[in-house]
Amino acid sequence: MTLIPEFQAHRVFVEPWTTELGSHGLMALVTFLVGATCGLIGNFLILRRMALVGDAISHSVLPGIALAFLITGSRGIGAMVLGAMVAAWLTHGLIELISRHSRLKQDAAIGIAFSTLFAIGVVLIAVFADKVDLDQDCVLNGELPMIPLEPPVRLGGWVLGPPPLLRLVGVLVVSLVLLVTFYKELLITSFDPGLAACLGIRVGAIHHGLMLWLAMVVVASFEAVGAILVIALLILPGATASLLTDRMVPRLAWTTVHAALSAISGMHLSVALDCSPAGATVVAGAGWFCVVWLFSPTEGLIPRAWCLRRGSVDSRLRSPELRQHNESP
Amino acid sequence: MGLGCAVLLASAFSAQAAKIGDLTQTRWTEQAWRFVTLSDPVVRYACLGTLLLGISCGLLGSFLVVRRMALLGDALSHAVLPGVALGFLWNLEKDPLAIFIGALLAGLAGSATVSILTRTTRLKEDTALGMVLASFFGLGLCLMSMFQRLPTGNKSGIETFLFGQAAALGPGDIQVMGAVTLVVVGLLGLGYKEFLLVSFDPGFARVLALPTVWFERLLVMLLAFAVVSALQAVGVVLVSAMLIIPAATASLLTDRFHRVLVWSSCLGMISGLSGAFLSFLGTRLPTGPFMVLSASLLFALALLFSPRQGIVPRWYRQRSQRVRIERENTLKAIYQVLESDGFASETITVAALTARRRLALAAVEAEIRSLVAVEFATASRDRVALTPSGWLRACAIVRNHRLWELYLTHAAQIAPDHVHDDAEKIEHVLGEAMVRELERRLPRIDTDPHGRPIPSLPASMAGAHLGAGGAGDRPVGYGGRT
Amino acid sequence: MSLETGNPANVPPLEIHDLTVAYRNKPVLWGIDLVAPAGKLIGIVGPNGAGKSTLIKACMGLLPCSSGWVTAFGRPVTQSLKRVGYVPQRESVDWDFPVSVMDVVLMGRYGRIGLFKRPSPEDRRIARDCLEQVQMLPFAERQISNLSGGQQQRVFLARALAQESDLYFMDEPFTGVDAATESAIIALLQGLRSRGKTILVVHHDLPTARTYFDWLLLLNMRVVAFGPTEEVFTPDLLQKTYGGRLTILSEVAEAVRGQGTLT
Repeated sequence: MTLIPEFQAHRVFVEPWTTELGSHGLMALVTFLVGATCGLIGNFLILRRMALVGDAISHSVLPGIALAFLITGSRGIGAMVLGAMVAAWLTHGLIELISRHSRLKQDAAIGIAFSTLFAIGVVLIAVFADKVDLDQDCVLNGELPMIPLEPPVRLGGWVLGPPPLLRLVGVLVVSLVLLVTFYKELLITSFDPGLAACLGIRVGAIHHGLMLWLAMVVVASFEAVGAILVIALLILPGATASLLTDRMVPRLAWTTVHAALSAISGMHLSVALDCSPAGATVVAGAGWFCVVWLFSPTEGLIPRAWCLRRGSVDSRLRSPELRQHNESP
Repeated sequence: MGLGCAVLLASAFSAQAAKIGDLTQTRWTEQAWRFVTLSDPVVRYACLGTLLLGISCGLLGSFLVVRRMALLGDALSHAVLPGVALGFLWNLEKDPLAIFIGALLAGLAGSATVSILTRTTRLKEDTALGMVLASFFGLGLCLMSMFQRLPTGNKSGIETFLFGQAAALGPGDIQVMGAVTLVVVGLLGLGYKEFLLVSFDPGFARVLALPTVWFERLLVMLLAFAVVSALQAVGVVLVSAMLIIPAATASLLTDRFHRVLVWSSCLGMISGLSGAFLSFLGTRLPTGPFMVLSASLLFALALLFSPRQGIVPRWYRQRSQRVRIERENTLKAIYQVLESDGFASETITVAALTARRRLALAAVEAEIRSLVAVEFATASRDRVALTPSGWLRACAIVRNHRLWELYLTHAAQIAPDHVHDDAEKIEHVLGEAMVRELERRLPRIDTDPHGRPIPSLPASMAGAHLGAGGAGDRPVGYGGRT
Repeated sequence: MSLETGNPANVPPLEIHDLTVAYRNKPVLWGIDLVAPAGKLIGIVGPNGAGKSTLIKACMGLLPCSSGWVTAFGRPVTQSLKRVGYVPQRESVDWDFPVSVMDVVLMGRYGRIGLFKRPSPEDRRIARDCLEQVQMLPFAERQISNLSGGQQQRVFLARALAQESDLYFMDEPFTGVDAATESAIIALLQGLRSRGKTILVVHHDLPTARTYFDWLLLLNMRVVAFGPTEEVFTPDLLQKTYGGRLTILSEVAEAVRGQGTLT
């Protein structure tokens, strides 16, 4: 057996859509759902400069999930979400406690809080290995290959799909509803919290709501991609979209496109290399980001370098470093 | 010194000892005994490795924490994973040097990507860090999952790099770690004042013609060194915690940077050792999480009990301050009651004091007891009298109050009916020097804005009774023109 | 809103009573007393660190007050926020944010649109009107990072106009703008004033302060003087405002912070 399996176009590009549709196709669908859900909320995390709070929460929900397993002895989604929300809330509280009661700054507080909670989670899983239906590998890689094997839910003769898929659809729907309902409030509290407070919008409530929403999304994604790669799916789609457009609604649309592209190409990559599907999705997502980074018409490195050589003043004004230079008095 | 020890150990013991994870049927007491007696080379390597790790991570982490770059450490440590995997692929076995080089390159590539991303796009630094962290980690997981399919893959111990296994440290690892620690200690020792300046005020450093950029790069390089050398013991996922937590703990304990460095490396060593010990007690327990938990425990202790900044000492100080303020308020009330009948009598009734303080009788009686305890007052059945020192203190506090009111109305031109609330708080804060300053600034200090006389104290009396205040006291500005 | 804007002569648009504000436990404003007259353009001037921005933030309830109270139109500010408009400092927001000029101006309407609802065509019409007033209508669909400093300030102003308030707080609206924008802004403010609005503007340039504002508030940790410009703009009072801080106030503020008693 060699490191890189022999490339067979039929196996890599055709079979996932025909004979293997039930496993590989389904996995691509699951990663798309995770990517789209995470990408939507991730856009707001990026805009609020809270990308690393997303990182922190995605690590620190682990002990909550592990404890929920230990106590209920099953993978009930309710207990898991509850455990994760408690853990997310605890992280938030710890960060506040540390940064308020000592001279340490927010970044150190974040680092301390989430690594401690994550360590507790790993220890719980390692010490109670025989009682918990989780292992260290699952924490990192997720259980994507297991999802197609679960018995599908049936409703009156219709096969709806395995339970994790339905859960993800549910979370995506809830996320879309939240987004549409609170779009205005999310936008203004991210852009100008001072004005929002002045207009009578409750900035703190929106912030806490966003954290709870994030905890829900992270838990739902945990099963598919594991604790650490969630951060990739939270940030990569939004970051890619931000290089393609400077408006909010197109940005959300591009986010979804990026999620779909990385899910599909990631699935092909994982078939071709026979490697971890969650990891392959992240690598594909990062690859698409690099493509956009190089070729995006407005922000891409290559179009900008080309315009600069032609001496177009307009494009020079658009390059971030020159723009900042222009603005400084 | 690390390198020397390592070479010595490496030649003395061959690396034949079984991994601890393989010894399945031992009791934890036996394991503990094995650990504390250091009878076995595995234990010796583990101890030495975690000590070296504690030093190098503690030192470099201090720079991260003071520069508010804690999350760069996180990104860097996740980004090394593909390098680790490539190091394994180099000759398909665990070769410390190949892994070290691979991980170092990956880590440097990661930090370079962050800086290129923030320079060439509109992405903010946190987004760039998060992206690099996760993308590199994902790539690493892919490579690892490919490697584990190989027949040799599962036996290679690559998975111990994720959460750490101190027991898997071999002589080669110890050599690498020793060399890294030596380089880190040496360079930081040589360039201490330059690194300090570049961290504290890069703009000023540039004015002094220091090659700031190169010092920055050197620091990131050293950071990558430390992260990579610690990987086998702590694991990729939690190595950033070993950078941040000991350094953060140290910065709670002292406020001088060189002491932060020393404390931080000591705390790093302690948490490293105890992590190794705890993971040694069970079978198949990863080292990294236990190390981090030990470090967090130390951090929690420091957060609670650090003498100057700890929550508990601070809470205690605030409480004794509240006691002092209450006591001073009672003294002031006694003074005011005495004043209200023109200082005709020496004693006042408890009832009059209760009415003035607007408190329940029991609370006032408790306060009287506390005044008696510090000899500020004497109490008979239903009357209270001030002792000479109590009288002085009462005069001082009333004087502070009225001087402040006078100052606010006179110098800051705030309406006389607004100044009382401020003065209620400020009277307990004014120190001797500030009272002198007020006296100097005000043209006349005989009556307050409400027309009441401001008590003055002969300076000869003021000195005599200072310091009789009991626990938690601080001198409240005593003054008076001579 | 026709009923609400009818301003009874005896209810001042802004009344501050004995306001003390502490920032991180350290008092920065002491015993502020102020009754702002209606329909005036009021400048707030004072040296750096005098607490000018802190004052307007505390007025709108963005910062907690240690003591005292603030009312707008006779009610606590938090209850009359709909009648209060705010222009923050230009640097306080991220200009790379993915919104257009129009979106930003529409944000001024959010307080009136209410939860769960989208901006109506009426809101859009008002927003376009406001953009027209600041001569920014041609830029309505531009993303905000592609604007010059003066244009960004005009957008903020249009957003405040869209709030349709009766009392405005503006934090250094003339910082980093070109001369044309500066005179356009002042003309606009004077227009608002003539419609009976009250405007408080934090300003740091003394020579222009004299010509721009009807009333001046001289501030240095406490109110040095407040009154019509011609009465207040005297060398004596300016010397008192700028001629060094009251060092004892700062020292005592530090001592208060050290002991944490003012919480």
